[in-house]
Amino acid sequence: MSYQIAQNYSCRRQQNWSRNQNTVAFVSAIKLGPVTNTVIIALMITILGLIYLTQATRVTSYDYATQKIDSQISELNAEKSDLEIENARLASLETVKSSSVASTMTTPTTTEYAQ
Amino acid sequence: MNLELQKGSRSKILLRILFGIMAIFSVRLFYLQIIQHDYYVGAANSEQIKRLTIPSKRGLIYALDGSTPVPLVMNQTVYTVFADPATTKNDDKIVEVIRKIAGGNAKSNLKDLLAKKTSRYQVLATRVTRAQADLIKKEELSGIGFQEESQRVYPEGSLSAQTLGFVDYSGAGRYGIEGGLNKELTGVDGMLQSVTDVSDVPLTIGSQNINEPAVDGKNVVLSIDRSIQSKVEQALADGLTRTGATNASAIVINPQNGRIMAMANLPSYDPSKFNEVSDVSVFNNGVVSAPYEPGSDVKAFTMATGIDKGVVTANSTYYNTDYIQVDDRVISNATLGHTGEITFQYALDWSLNTGFVTIAERLGDGKNITKSARDTMYDYFYNRFHLGQLTGVEVAGEASGTVISPNETEGNAVRYSNMSFGQGLDVTMIQVASAFCSIVNGGKYYKPTVIAGEVNEDGKYIENKIATPTTQISESTANQVREMAYTARNTFFTSVDRPGYYIGGKTGTSQVIVNGTYSDDATIGTYLGFGGSEETTNYVIMVQVSGAHKKLAGAQDALPIFTDMSNWMLNYLKIQPKG
Repeated sequence: MSYQIAQNYSCRRQQNWSRNQNTVAFVSAIKLGPVTNTVIIALMITILGLIYLTQATRVTSYDYATQKIDSQISELNAEKSDLEIENARLASLETVKSSSVASTMTTPTTTEYAQ
Repeated sequence: MNLELQKGSRSKILLRILFGIMAIFSVRLFYLQIIQHDYYVGAANSEQIKRLTIPSKRGLIYALDGSTPVPLVMNQTVYTVFADPATTKNDDKIVEVIRKIAGGNAKSNLKDLLAKKTSRYQVLATRVTRAQADLIKKEELSGIGFQEESQRVYPEGSLSAQTLGFVDYSGAGRYGIEGGLNKELTGVDGMLQSVTDVSDVPLTIGSQNINEPAVDGKNVVLSIDRSIQSKVEQALADGLTRTGATNASAIVINPQNGRIMAMANLPSYDPSKFNEVSDVSVFNNGVVSAPYEPGSDVKAFTMATGIDKGVVTANSTYYNTDYIQVDDRVISNATLGHTGEITFQYALDWSLNTGFVTIAERLGDGKNITKSARDTMYDYFYNRFHLGQLTGVEVAGEASGTVISPNETEGNAVRYSNMSFGQGLDVTMIQVASAFCSIVNGGKYYKPTVIAGEVNEDGKYIENKIATPTTQISESTANQVREMAYTARNTFFTSVDRPGYYIGGKTGTSQVIVNGTYSDDATIGTYLGFGGSEETTNYVIMVQVSGAHKKLAGAQDALPIFTDMSNWMLNYLKIQPKG
């Protein structure tokens, strides 16, 4: 009876870099100079600035929407107030006294009281 | 390729110059941004941050309709229409539109106003309603602007004008409740501090934003019942026509809680046109601000004092000779001939002065109005019935009147003999009516009030608790005097009241002091009465009529007005008659 080593078997030690083992590091052929780095940093700052500006503008647009709603609320309140005044005038004693209902009312000849 | 700069080359010089400039910039920026930081932040804030006032709404004033609040004073947003004549175009069209829409609120000389091309602000119309302003805006007239403001409106017209007062053009309450409760009605303005854009739209950016909401004024509910108030004003107007008097006042109080149900004076005014009033005396609420000599109404208080101190009863007697000597003065009755042994009830019925001077004497040694008698009368009149002092009613302009103390030189026996029948003291109608309430309700004095409660932010009516009364005279005394007032009324005026009710009162005819002496050609007529069932008194009504050079009497001129109101009140309050 013999044992065979499976093809996909790998020794635990081989999974890590260790002493006396050859390692290969990839070195890009493209090299970034100081000018490129400066440009990239500038671009990043610009992008961050644009993101900030976008957010600030969005908040401001909410302010305008809020202002518009506030104006509508104010207008509706003024309208409500006018209607309340009109209602109070229509329900005032003078209006009631001069109403057609009041003019047709008569004084009762007798009054009975509930015991 | 070697790009290094050669020593002394032009490029190197340029580099140095550039570094030099950069250095200058850096130093300048350091100065501006670090050293001058606070200055420029302040300058930027003053440019960008706006501080806006959020105006508080003035509280509304309600009356009662039974137990439901109904508005008497409300706020309406109105507009002032103005023009910038330097920028207006088509002035003829502006004139036409403003005249057509604003009507009577437009200025009469619109063309002249628009012709002032060097001016940047001319008012074309005032108090234009929101609907009118919208119509004008639709016309898209160039150079026309609108200024928003709030004004008080009165759905019930001039009802209860002197109790309400008005708000002047500076926004301050004057007279009445508007003046008396100005602070509570005004509220507290709020504040909005925010970064704004060029159109002053507040933005949420920035770290110094403040939003303090305005606190609106309190909505006050008066204890005035609008139906009773209307009836009282009508009854007074009818009374003036009937009697020829020029002035009339009345107050109706619920004696069971001190709440004023109506308070009126004629002539009156329209509070929405207060600026058109030529005689400013009509702004005064005479019920609380016009002290006068109350006359015979005070006899009820002298009687109560005598009974409470145990020196007289209704059926006690004295010998009436129509005259009585006090020190060097002789005091006589207004009605002569009822001489002989008579009861104090009889003296009250016929309003005989000698009877009440006799009570004052009996409070002393029986023959003289001693210091002790005067102290007792002062204690009852001033301390217990609160005559001659402010009642604390919430309307502005209350006068205290005067009851002279016996400790003063003028507080002598002669004065106190006069005070026993209503002369020699100055009091207001509200003081007399409130004191009378404490007689007809069993001896409890309630501080009079015109406030019933408030309407909260949710529109719910919150009624005030009834103040705790103070006991001033015994219940027995109060009941005896109440019965005496009932008898006094029913001795002479049996058929005027609706049957089955318990109505009583006392007439008063006061002389008027003109230039320090009593006038011969003018008297004030008053009637102080109560009504309800025998068990409970539901209302106290006091009526006063007066006029220059008019001799007006309590029985003939004021009593019929009381009767008119009283009979109406019995119906309105749904009081069931007996029998």
